[in-house]
Amino acid sequence: MAFIELKGATLDLPIYDVRGRSLKKKVMRIGRRNTIAEDNDGVIVVRALDNVDLRFDRGDRVGLIGHNGAGKSTLLRTMAGIYAPTSGTISSNGKIVPLLDISLGMDENSTGMQNIRLRGLLLGMSDSEIREKQQAIAEFCELGDYLDLPLRTYSSGMRVRLAFAVSTAVDAEILLLDEVMGVGDASFMHKAEERLADLHSRAEIVVLAMHSNPEIRRVCNKVLWMERGRVRAFGPMEEVLSQYEATS
Amino acid sequence: MLRQSTEDLVKSLGSWRLWTLLGWLEVRQRYARSRVGPFWLTISMGVMIGSLGLVYGTLFGQSMEDYLPFLAVSLVMWGMFATTVTEGGLAYISSGQFIRQASTPKLIYVLQVVWRNLVILAHNFVIVVILLAAFGVKNWQTLPLFLPALVLYILNAMWIAMVVGLLSARFRDLPQIINALIQIAFYVTPIIFRPKSLSRFTFLVEWNPLAYLIDMVRAPLIGQFPSAETWGICLGMAAAGWLLALSLTGRYLKRIPYWV
Repeated sequence: MAFIELKGATLDLPIYDVRGRSLKKKVMRIGRRNTIAEDNDGVIVVRALDNVDLRFDRGDRVGLIGHNGAGKSTLLRTMAGIYAPTSGTISSNGKIVPLLDISLGMDENSTGMQNIRLRGLLLGMSDSEIREKQQAIAEFCELGDYLDLPLRTYSSGMRVRLAFAVSTAVDAEILLLDEVMGVGDASFMHKAEERLADLHSRAEIVVLAMHSNPEIRRVCNKVLWMERGRVRAFGPMEEVLSQYEATS
Repeated sequence: MLRQSTEDLVKSLGSWRLWTLLGWLEVRQRYARSRVGPFWLTISMGVMIGSLGLVYGTLFGQSMEDYLPFLAVSLVMWGMFATTVTEGGLAYISSGQFIRQASTPKLIYVLQVVWRNLVILAHNFVIVVILLAAFGVKNWQTLPLFLPALVLYILNAMWIAMVVGLLSARFRDLPQIINALIQIAFYVTPIIFRPKSLSRFTFLVEWNPLAYLIDMVRAPLIGQFPSAETWGICLGMAAAGWLLALSLTGRYLKRIPYWV
């Protein structure tokens, strides 16, 4: 049974400027008595998640809403296991597939086919799984003979098609999506939507961050409203979404 | 701490398909669209060995028959060590886009660097084989010792790459410092000169761990048995180094995505 649970998860993101990155500065600071002159060590800490308690269970289709910088992407990355929380815990069960950046792991000088393999491996597919799905991926992205050409010859639309086709071929129990809409031309857009809908129906839990309220109404049954790294509201879709719409 | 990093190491080794592929891509990318491909490395290394060999062999008054194989083995092996360490410093930094987007095990990025340099070593090793064939193998009995020596050598290069990679992700001026240190190490370590030819400053050889490392992989190929002292020091370094690297990695594993 798939689930994700966060208990008191807090995430402090350190932001380093040039000084904070320097070993020399750090060594020079050792043994210096007056720290007043250069007290700032060049590290600013941003609290991206603040004491978040959540539990998503099987069947949840969660829409993640909130203003820019509210912590939506950070939350997704934490759930994906990329960022470990500074304090608090996160536990989960089920294969998590994050689709956060459409352009992850593409190699310019490799052919389309080789890129299918590279990206598949990065997303945690096994070798046999990739071989099995390669044909389906190739058909879905409709790139035909271009798949045997290196990626640097592709247009940006073609890249997105390929990346989308590979990413969405992964079997996910928990699917994390970060606004991956807007792919390619109109006909592919339609296909992509179908594919996403199919992906949603196969996954046990879907969490998607997006700014389009009609889309959330269509897909989700729950909504999580983030504000400044905290949970502002979490509950049934219509309830939270209307609250959100009332304030903005 | 150690448990986390060994877990990561086991998982990383398990996804060998990924790091071998990433390593290969990198090698291929550098020499893409050139006819001889990665063998450019072999050619440039060959030219370097040839010219250095002529100049220094004459300067040191050595016979070419002895000196060229010595120099070839030294340079080829040192090249592998030096680039593993310097590129190890960039292991996490240059893979930042992967680390921030997918939760793969982290040590695959170090393994990728090691693998890449092994591939390059295999290309360069052609020169050693050619020279051994041309000048004859000194002693067949010492040759098999090259294998355990190579394994120990790689293990030592890898723990250094792990430590350097981790620290460089946090302190971005470290790769430059490492580059400078490696450069100095090249001159003070018996690579182009023979360990015994230093008449003064012998501490440069006796107290230089790199001198033992290079001696261990070089001796079997030029017909000598590495001394027990050499084996001991290299083994000790590998054990202590891996302990250090694994505990450091375990301690900071979770911080890597924040740093890159």
